[in-house]
Amino acid sequence: MMTADAHIFRLDGVSKRYGATVALDKINLSVERNEYVSLLGPSGSGKTVLLRTIAGFEKPDEGRIEVNGRDVSSLPAHERGIGFVFQNFALFPHLSVADNIGFGLANRNDPLPTGEIADRVREIIKLVGLEGLGARGVGQISGGQKQRVALARTLVTEPKLILLDEPLGALDANLRGRMRNELRAIRERLGVTFLHVTGSETEALAMGDRVIVLDHGHIAQFDHPDHVYTNPATPNVAKFLNRYNMFDGSISGSAFKSEYGDLPFTQKTKSEKAAYAVRYDRVAVEADNAVSKGSSVQANFIASEYLGSSIMYFFETMDGKVIEVEHHLSNGAPKTFEPKKSYRLRWKPEDAIVFG
Amino acid sequence: MAVPAKTSSKTAWWLIAPGVIWMTLFLVIPILMIVYVSFWTQTTFKIEPTLTLASWQQFFASDTYITSLWTTVRIWLIVLTATLVIGYPTALYVGLFVKSKTLSTILLVICVIPFWTSFLIRVLAWRPMLGKEGAINIVLQKFGIISAPIEALLFTELSVIIGMTQIYCVFMVGPIAFMLGRIDPNIIEASRDLGAGFWRIFRKIIFPLSLPGVVVGAIFVSVMVLGEFATASALSGRKVNLLGNIIVTQVGSLKWALASVVGVILTIVMGIVVALFLRIVDLRREL
Repeated sequence: MMTADAHIFRLDGVSKRYGATVALDKINLSVERNEYVSLLGPSGSGKTVLLRTIAGFEKPDEGRIEVNGRDVSSLPAHERGIGFVFQNFALFPHLSVADNIGFGLANRNDPLPTGEIADRVREIIKLVGLEGLGARGVGQISGGQKQRVALARTLVTEPKLILLDEPLGALDANLRGRMRNELRAIRERLGVTFLHVTGSETEALAMGDRVIVLDHGHIAQFDHPDHVYTNPATPNVAKFLNRYNMFDGSISGSAFKSEYGDLPFTQKTKSEKAAYAVRYDRVAVEADNAVSKGSSVQANFIASEYLGSSIMYFFETMDGKVIEVEHHLSNGAPKTFEPKKSYRLRWKPEDAIVFG
Repeated sequence: MAVPAKTSSKTAWWLIAPGVIWMTLFLVIPILMIVYVSFWTQTTFKIEPTLTLASWQQFFASDTYITSLWTTVRIWLIVLTATLVIGYPTALYVGLFVKSKTLSTILLVICVIPFWTSFLIRVLAWRPMLGKEGAINIVLQKFGIISAPIEALLFTELSVIIGMTQIYCVFMVGPIAFMLGRIDPNIIEASRDLGAGFWRIFRKIIFPLSLPGVVVGAIFVSVMVLGEFATASALSGRKVNLLGNIIVTQVGSLKWALASVVGVILTIVMGIVVALFLRIVDLRREL
């Protein structure tokens, strides 16, 4: 009768406080089966607490947690049928790769027979690409391999929901890119739901079928990555994405009054806080003698940074605010600007996102 | 890293030299001397460097000495077991169950407080505790649990064991608590998430990871108990004679050769014990 429920888990008004600090503020959230969801939030946004609360390592002060259509709010971690992959992998240092992976099957309340454990472990070792390493100690394998052991150890117990706490955080950049693809591929093969916590906006957007943005203990946005990217729901979401120049000020009529003059805009997003955002790659650089009307600000060029497919230009306004401009190299050769010289940065009013 | 091999080996030599010199002068040479002296010829008033097996034969022919060897081994095993049985749960609490690092440090310091008094006072303090009219007997009688005082409490092997267990327990608690404190809490959460209950987690994760601490603690306790003489003479009323007590008596009556024999035997026993413990766990890998 639960088949009708397309949700793998659901949170209903979940709150968690530590003294005076509110870590989670009445969170309502439901995630579907067979989905890759990334959970983005800066440090201190409560993302790890949220994950640990779902897993059952932390008790919520109020609210209901449902997994697989069943209320698990008062159940301990292992009875929730949820897998957890720790940031530092938390492998058992004294056990071999195979014993680490088989631990759950051998040590739960109704352990499997040894032969079956060996079969299942062999299967999962193949699935995550650890063939030939089963007998190694976990101190003798690389970071990427440890990550796979941590994942395999959870996968082998066949949970329908796997929570990953910054799973790529401990890997170097090269490996991180490879493991991203691998995580997605493994998840698709098994058809389980991954909830992947990360502080990196690029990782969140790249990995998630949908992205949850967490801000001070509440969910600021839950949407497809392209939507989050192009239409951030709040000024803070735009800030976390790290792709927007943000201006403070207030709305008056059809213009946004900022310290840099009136900035025109065409569309408005409803928000508690007023802010003006424009994406790095929507800003054009013009000579300073150009007419100062429209949406533009004046700033001095500081430096540029070559990124391969694009170049970042950094400008500074009179009062020290840094404005970033991204130039995609597919749109023409890079320009050179003179350091300390004043330029006019201009964008189309319809490219601006205004909150208020 | 950038240090050339030649320079770094020279530096290494300077670093190790003081230790090597110290150990050679005050450990290696004295031990060799003891072995050598154990073969000297002992007469009533003097000792000569004429090699003989007499002292060794005297040791193995004497019931008193052989009995004291077994007493030493027996008391060592009992005290080792007692310190482990009492010390492990304490360490488990201090090292693992107390979440605050400050509190666990405070608790460890509390364990060490008895050491702020001298060894002799700690040992002798057991006399008014265990005596016929001592604290324990008085309390038990007050509550009507016993009608006549238990005399077996003091000046028996039991009092020696109680005294030693109290004195050496902390050497067991310390290393175990240290190892337990190093266990990543995520590892325990992970094992719980994978469905293991408390006893499983203890048997499969916590105990194996604390084993190096148990071994270090056991070595501390063993070496100290095997070499003991003061607790035995103060609390047993001279009824319990450990190898250490024999050395003290023999040295007291200037029987250097026999004292050396006992010393060598004691060193061999300790060597065997330490070697056995080190076989349990590869400390170089674990620490």
